[in-house]
Amino acid sequence: MIIDFTAAAYLSIAFWASGSLLGIAARGNSIMKNAATGLNLGGSIIMIAFIAMYWSALERPPLRTLGETRLWYAALIPLVGLLVEQRWNISWLKYYCMALAGFFLSINLMHPEVFDKALMPALQSPWFIPHVVVYLVGYVLLAASSVAGWHNILLTWRKKNTLQNDAIGHYLALLGFVFLTFGLVFGALWAKDAWGNYWSWDPKETWAFIAWLIYLGYLHASSWKVRRLNLQWYLALAFLVLLVSWFGVNYLPTAANSVHTYQQS
Amino acid sequence: MAPHHRKWFQAPWEFREAALMAIMTAAFGFAIQYALGGQGITLPAWPLNGVILTLLALATTALGLSFRNRPPVQWLGGIPLGLSLILSLAVLSFIGGMVPQGAEGNPAAVRLGLYSIFSSWPFALTVALFLVNLGLSLVWKTVPFSPKNLQFILFHAGFWIALACGIFGSSDLQRLIVPVYEGRSTSRGLVSGGGREVRDLPFSVKLHDFSIEEYPPQLMFYDPESDRFIMAGTQAVTEVRKGTTISWKGTRVEVTEFMDSAMPGPDGIPITAPPSAGIPYAKVRITGSGEQPDTWLSTGGPGMRPYVAGIESQILIMVPGSPKSYRSAVTIQAEGGRSLEAALEVNKPVNFEGWKIYQMGYDEESGRFSTLSLIEAIRDPWLPGVYLGFFMILAGNTLFFWNGIKRSGVEA
Ligand code: HEM
Repeated sequence: MIIDFTAAAYLSIAFWASGSLLGIAARGNSIMKNAATGLNLGGSIIMIAFIAMYWSALERPPLRTLGETRLWYAALIPLVGLLVEQRWNISWLKYYCMALAGFFLSINLMHPEVFDKALMPALQSPWFIPHVVVYLVGYVLLAASSVAGWHNILLTWRKKNTLQNDAIGHYLALLGFVFLTFGLVFGALWAKDAWGNYWSWDPKETWAFIAWLIYLGYLHASSWKVRRLNLQWYLALAFLVLLVSWFGVNYLPTAANSVHTYQQS
Repeated sequence: MAPHHRKWFQAPWEFREAALMAIMTAAFGFAIQYALGGQGITLPAWPLNGVILTLLALATTALGLSFRNRPPVQWLGGIPLGLSLILSLAVLSFIGGMVPQGAEGNPAAVRLGLYSIFSSWPFALTVALFLVNLGLSLVWKTVPFSPKNLQFILFHAGFWIALACGIFGSSDLQRLIVPVYEGRSTSRGLVSGGGREVRDLPFSVKLHDFSIEEYPPQLMFYDPESDRFIMAGTQAVTEVRKGTTISWKGTRVEVTEFMDSAMPGPDGIPITAPPSAGIPYAKVRITGSGEQPDTWLSTGGPGMRPYVAGIESQILIMVPGSPKSYRSAVTIQAEGGRSLEAALEVNKPVNFEGWKIYQMGYDEESGRFSTLSLIEAIRDPWLPGVYLGFFMILAGNTLFFWNGIKRSGVEA
């Protein structure tokens, strides 16, 4: 059985889009605002339900291919935007987040993947799910921190930035870094079981390490007297390194000898 | 930002001097590497590595405690240098992430160590300085101890321990590949990456049985014209089972019978056979365009040709499923007498007398008929240190996370 991805994706995008429009139109109206939040949440819930059904149809977690991880990304990133709105009363982030999520679903709509239940033996491990999910959450938070970085740069140019805005980018990066660290260590523990070495400087590992160092650098820069605007640039651009580690690795000259890039299909 | 009116090397030192130090360290490392003709660094094995590491830790502690108020020492253990080294390490790793490691290439680049960056002098020297910087900051945050520094200590000490044990312990790592055939026993292994070098193990491995479980085979169309496989126009891999149907361009294929493991009988009709000898067979009914009498398909195997069906210009084939799991039933017997029965499987290594024993591979040409199992035996005495470091990093990060979500809004 194959569940209809196209329908689910369009439905999610429609929920996010209508929720966004309603949110913008709402202004001060709290009923409309709640309805908008409901629609935005609904879009993610549809994706989560789709992932759950897809998981059961595949008889394995849908985390093996890049396209499969994009589904999680699309489901989770709007939730980060909504969480930031709840927690810090900042609502601009969620619009970027939903736009990104829609973008990821569009990639999947344009490149339908093969429905394949096979999971190679090395991936059959209790570490598989925690490792990949923790990384996904880290990517989601850091993507949001990069969005915050760009947004804050624009606001600074227009002399409208606030300390609060910078703080949001900072906390997203901090939380994202924590998940990245967990992902890295879980990966090492898993590699020991699967390949015998917790670290072998495989291209994927090397890039994950570079990305981790870059965010480590951010944290140290931010605890020193580095200018606020420079920190926002750092956050905005650091995500590019993370993108390489996430899927750019597959296209590098070193990728041929990697044992754990996502499968491309 | 360094205040702009401060001159180079005017106290207190900051980012400029730190960046210079990081660059000089790497440059010095590249110079040594080049002068040695591309020979990377070889770390000493036990006990010398233990001695060096202990001395490094003691020297860092003594330096940190005795000269904690001297500006140059403060700089050596401060954030500007730490940040510069973090970025320098990122740049060196970037080389390792772009240049295929272990490959051949431009002789000058090889001589500089760009093709083996992680065992190169610049990398090693940067890591050494890194350990000093990190160690000093750790000493200062630990003595005198205050609970509010716990998060910092867990992170930084964890990283120090993991990095130090990982790097200094790498020279004590032993990795041996042990090929063994069904019914045989061996106590010798090939040194991993060591060409044909053979070493004796302190135990023997006897292989009773090697078995592979495969995913169901798949139906595909093969187009000889373009030499391509076509997945019948659907976006699903078609697993062959009784009742599976695929339709494509007016042709409908239905699997009416499926045998997991069979052999051709005397009249060519397959009969069930044990998994060690048989291959999958499927009987298909083809209707619509290309209609023909019911026919048998098989994946083929050693000494057995595949059965396929021609449908117009295409060929309907059945390809074997990929391996789902493989395992070796073994008895591991120590020289001293202790023995262990185990089923080795990917992701499920077994511990034996300080070694970890892994299912590594098999004879892929024979696929599920392989009677050869490749087992790997690994001894890594420093692993507990590395894991201690990992768990401290995770513990520190958990506190970090907790403090991160507790605080809200503008920082102090
Ligand atoms: C494991 C990940 C790491 C995290 C999360 C982390 C985080 C931090 C934080 C939050 C501070 C500021 C502490 C404060 O001001 O109270 C700090 C300081 C510092 N970090 Fe790290 N760090 C990490 C790894 C490293 C590494 C690998 C180095 C090696 C170069 C390093 C070197 C330093 C130094 C030298 C300081 C200044 C210490 C001081 O102010 O006395 N850190 N780190």
